[in-house]
Amino acid sequence: MIFLTVGTQFPFDRLVKAIDDLCERGLIHESIVAQIGDSTYQPRHFEAVASLDKSAFDRNFQQASAIIGHAGMGTITMALENSKPLLAMPRRKKYGEVVNDHQVMLAIKFEALGHLLLARDETELADKVEQLKSFVPRPRQVNPDAVTRRISAFLDQV
Amino acid sequence: MVREKKICLAASAGGHLSQLLKVAGCTSGYEVFVVTTSETVRAGLASMGRVHVVGECNREHPRRLMGVLLCCVRIIARERPNVIISTGAAPACLCCLLGKLLGARIVWVDSVTNVERISLSGRIIRPLADLFLVQWPELVEKYRGVEYVGAII
Repeated sequence: MIFLTVGTQFPFDRLVKAIDDLCERGLIHESIVAQIGDSTYQPRHFEAVASLDKSAFDRNFQQASAIIGHAGMGTITMALENSKPLLAMPRRKKYGEVVNDHQVMLAIKFEALGHLLLARDETELADKVEQLKSFVPRPRQVNPDAVTRRISAFLDQV
Repeated sequence: MVREKKICLAASAGGHLSQLLKVAGCTSGYEVFVVTTSETVRAGLASMGRVHVVGECNREHPRRLMGVLLCCVRIIARERPNVIISTGAAPACLCCLLGKLLGARIVWVDSVTNVERISLSGRIIRPLADLFLVQWPELVEKYRGVEYVGAII
């Protein structure tokens, strides 16, 4: 199963429709579970709900063989924490999908680091969906404790 | 006798707040209050201290911004934090500006989503910040006075 999650706050019909089109063309064989937020496009080839509660969302995320989503930090972080291959397409300001284009730079950076696959727009999705089948994300090295310690040291001095 | 400082944690609900909460252990033992932007996260923060919800705002809606600003003025003037720790965005930036006027120290951790340059809020706060952390090592070379010790997420 592929879990499609496009975030909330603004519609992201471009991605929902593009994935539906790939199903139509027979390029995706796996079943798809979708959380489409405020998107209004009604897919013909899979079930889509506006919003899953947290436990249902987590369950789908964990059961999925791969994630397709927007390039939101929440989705990226969750995919990395669960070692799930993620294909991310950034939301764009020019289509009213987000307030600024930070998702583009973020996705380019994370793809360069091997953490995800990036489709800059719908035209790149077919190739990337194919690559997603064998993609193994590189784990991300984070160090929240170092940040915590640095702030603690600062607070001790104040 | 130590730990009598009052600390304000300020962050917009969502990614900004989730990053801040991952380093909130640094406030252990201090009196803490939280400023955030959505009622939906209030209950989850209640164990940390008083929670103030000021609503969302950004530079594209100046009237909303003014409303949030007034809200922040009331909170910061009443609470008088010694230190404000923030990961952004705009409402938290307002709190930092107001806090600085009243003598608070400012700790800013710029969000990991800012890869190429620091956020607009971060650029406003940088000259005033007492500790400014970024989450990408490349940014240290671009901006004077910022530190990188690791990424939160």
